[in-house]
Amino acid sequence: MPTDVAEHVVPDLASRLAAIVGERRVLARPSELRSYESDGLPGYHARPALAVFPGTRDETIAVVRLLAALDAPFVARGAGTGLSGGALAEGSVLLGLHRLTRILSIDADDARAVVEPGVVNATLSRAAAAFGLHYAPDPSSQTACTIGGNVAENAGGPHCLKYGVTLNHVLAITVLLPSGEVVTLGSADGERDGYDLLGAFIGSEGCFGVALDVTVRLARDPQAVRTLLADFSSVNAAAHAVSSIIASGIIPAAMEMMDGPTIQAVEASIYAAGYPVDAAAILLIELDGAVAGIDDDAARVDAFCRDAGARGVRIAADPAERARLWQGRKKAFGAMGRIAPNLVVQDAVVPRTKLPAILAEIQHIAELHRVRVCNVFHAGDGNLHPNIGYDATSADETERVHRAMAAIMQACIDAGGTITGEHGIGLDKLPYMEALFTPATLGAMCALREVFDPGRRSNPGKVVPVHSCREWFAAPSARAGGAS
Amino acid sequence: MNASPASDATAALAERVRHAHVTGTALRITGAGHWLDAGRPCRADASLALAEHTGIVEYEPGDLTMTVRAGTPLDALSAVASGEGQWLPLDPFGHLGGTIGATIATASSGPLSGAFGTPRDHVLGCEFITGTGNVVRAGGRVVKNVAGFDLVRLVTGAWGTLGVVTEVSIRLRALPEIDRTLALETTASEARRWLRASPYTPLAAEMISARLATDMSIGSRDTLLLRLGGNRALVHSAAESAGALAGSRDVDATVWDTLRTREPADAAVVRLSTSSSQVAALWDRVASIVERAGGHAHATLQRGIVRCMLPVRSDDAEEHARLRGIVGALLTLGSSVVERLPSSLWAKMVPPAASDALSIGVRRAFDPGHVLNPGILGELA
Repeated sequence: MPTDVAEHVVPDLASRLAAIVGERRVLARPSELRSYESDGLPGYHARPALAVFPGTRDETIAVVRLLAALDAPFVARGAGTGLSGGALAEGSVLLGLHRLTRILSIDADDARAVVEPGVVNATLSRAAAAFGLHYAPDPSSQTACTIGGNVAENAGGPHCLKYGVTLNHVLAITVLLPSGEVVTLGSADGERDGYDLLGAFIGSEGCFGVALDVTVRLARDPQAVRTLLADFSSVNAAAHAVSSIIASGIIPAAMEMMDGPTIQAVEASIYAAGYPVDAAAILLIELDGAVAGIDDDAARVDAFCRDAGARGVRIAADPAERARLWQGRKKAFGAMGRIAPNLVVQDAVVPRTKLPAILAEIQHIAELHRVRVCNVFHAGDGNLHPNIGYDATSADETERVHRAMAAIMQACIDAGGTITGEHGIGLDKLPYMEALFTPATLGAMCALREVFDPGRRSNPGKVVPVHSCREWFAAPSARAGGAS
Repeated sequence: MNASPASDATAALAERVRHAHVTGTALRITGAGHWLDAGRPCRADASLALAEHTGIVEYEPGDLTMTVRAGTPLDALSAVASGEGQWLPLDPFGHLGGTIGATIATASSGPLSGAFGTPRDHVLGCEFITGTGNVVRAGGRVVKNVAGFDLVRLVTGAWGTLGVVTEVSIRLRALPEIDRTLALETTASEARRWLRASPYTPLAAEMISARLATDMSIGSRDTLLLRLGGNRALVHSAAESAGALAGSRDVDATVWDTLRTREPADAAVVRLSTSSSQVAALWDRVASIVERAGGHAHATLQRGIVRCMLPVRSDDAEEHARLRGIVGALLTLGSSVVERLPSSLWAKMVPPAASDALSIGVRRAFDPGHVLNPGILGELA
């Protein structure tokens, strides 16, 4: 693996990059780089050696080829909203792609679009709206995050319950490999035989190269939408309602849970959505599809919630009320941010039947470590977001938060779950990878990475612990199996 | 899958692969053996059978997930799931007793893929043995998972060349309240127009060529088989809307199994595909060619795929020349995947599927000795 870009070569590298993208698009002074020292993951600061912001596809290719020629490590970055530290670029060249914002085409008949990596998720849906289409994956950061970043993280969102995650919506990607070579993965106009390299690339967290353009599938706007708010006096009852609905065969477009502390944070903020502040949990359930039959499904969902013990269920009367209910959910992280100086937004998944048990376990862990957990999550998928607000200037509190998070991760693994459903491993979750995967599995991941990036220069040190790779390539049986 | 150790049975299979790697013994991986006659030019010294590697490892209906050994037949799996009101909406063509392992290794799917996607959309995790005998446990048992690089997608559709799939975790769905199939004599372009304009998402919309429709006793001209699922009001409304296209009649759901098993094992099968806006035009060009040649065609309209079956009447040079002419003509009409072809024609007509530098690199990383199904994706450089 390459070491950091040495300090004495930075001025030369900066001027060569400036020759490609222009002086203003290269940052090398520490003061200029401060905004790029962190991403959406709090508590981490890592200064890039320099930052470069190409404005076109050709400039991007030229930059990556120059970095390849100099054997320099780099980290691609979209909007920097990632929550696992994947865009931290300590000692590397930060390659900002947020200027590549062109929507190259929208094909209404085939319901697809070709976009550059810097296009903002919500901007794509806005552009597609004229055709009665939208881009289905909808992470909470969708007004800022980019499609390139979504591809890197295999991003999800509330509506992935019915519509699937990024992987299920990408047809093809033109990839700039770390070597500077350009390849097309996947196919937009028909099937091809062969390895699913597109599937392998999506979610590779910037370790396999840079997306130059992405062909995505667009979803048709549903004819009808019903948004229900169910109010529970226990988290357990809400979790049981989730199970009944999923088992019934009704697939809601989204099914989100918020617990009492989250509701209170939202209602105390400018995003107040009219949630019942005395509820132990609420479910926000959205049904969509054809008009025919949708009210029958809504009535069944209502009944499932009441059978599980809901105190009340109401249905959004109009689009404005629906938007308000959703705004409270999507801005819940922001609302929590108001009540504590720092916020860890956690991400893990458990099998859906384990939701009641894991929520109780999380509460127990929180009490043990004297921290306050707010749960707001994609209940229909079992995708938890236990968040902890804290004050990072207190070393004691920070330590307790870290311990609680580690215990929560271990509890999710023990429940048969996983350590991330949509935020990625990045730097933050590296320590848990060995608890989740066998050495041979981590080794296979390293071997795959070597194929795309033999020099391990693209987002070095992320996703798989470096020592796992070292051990794999040192083992005699794996040497034969490693890329030569 | 979590870090729990592999079973003894997997360990024994891994030992055989490790031995094959050391001795340079090429292995043909087999499930139930139903796909063996695909004609793909696979050179092997020995067979590695997973037909006995069967059984459900874990099934928690409330999670709608199942973990199952790779040799488990699809029909056996369906029987267990339907007992809980669930199904794996994956209906590949061929024998109903084909294994889940082979389905995933070949990424095979059928008409339901229009609504539910292909194996890559159903597989949550898998255990596989690399060409050096390492047991890898990739993905997990939960429906959402982005931990680490996606080895699951990598082995799905790799035809066993990156690893012997020994166990898979799959996502199930609840069976729809109503599952109703209609047959409508209509054209591909009318059918496609209805699909695009209507607010309904059918479980399947398969265009059936005239001869096949006649054989299956569902019509006498090109016929749309439409499978509608959901609650009573939804299905009723969708059926009414589709009925405006052409006279429609209800047919028994067994028609789908009939379609799946309609291809003679020794037939040539080619899938042509295009974007969904172009599928009707492709159908119009292809269906008549195939029927004139004595075969039949059907198309998964939502995915833009036209599946062409050509009977192979004998194994002589004249018949092969005839086939070569027809298949050659078909291959010029769209993106193509040759599924089955007499092996003597395979090498002449089908370019290698994994000949790019990345694919070669991946193969080398996971099976450096080329002991797993060598040649099955074409000759690698």
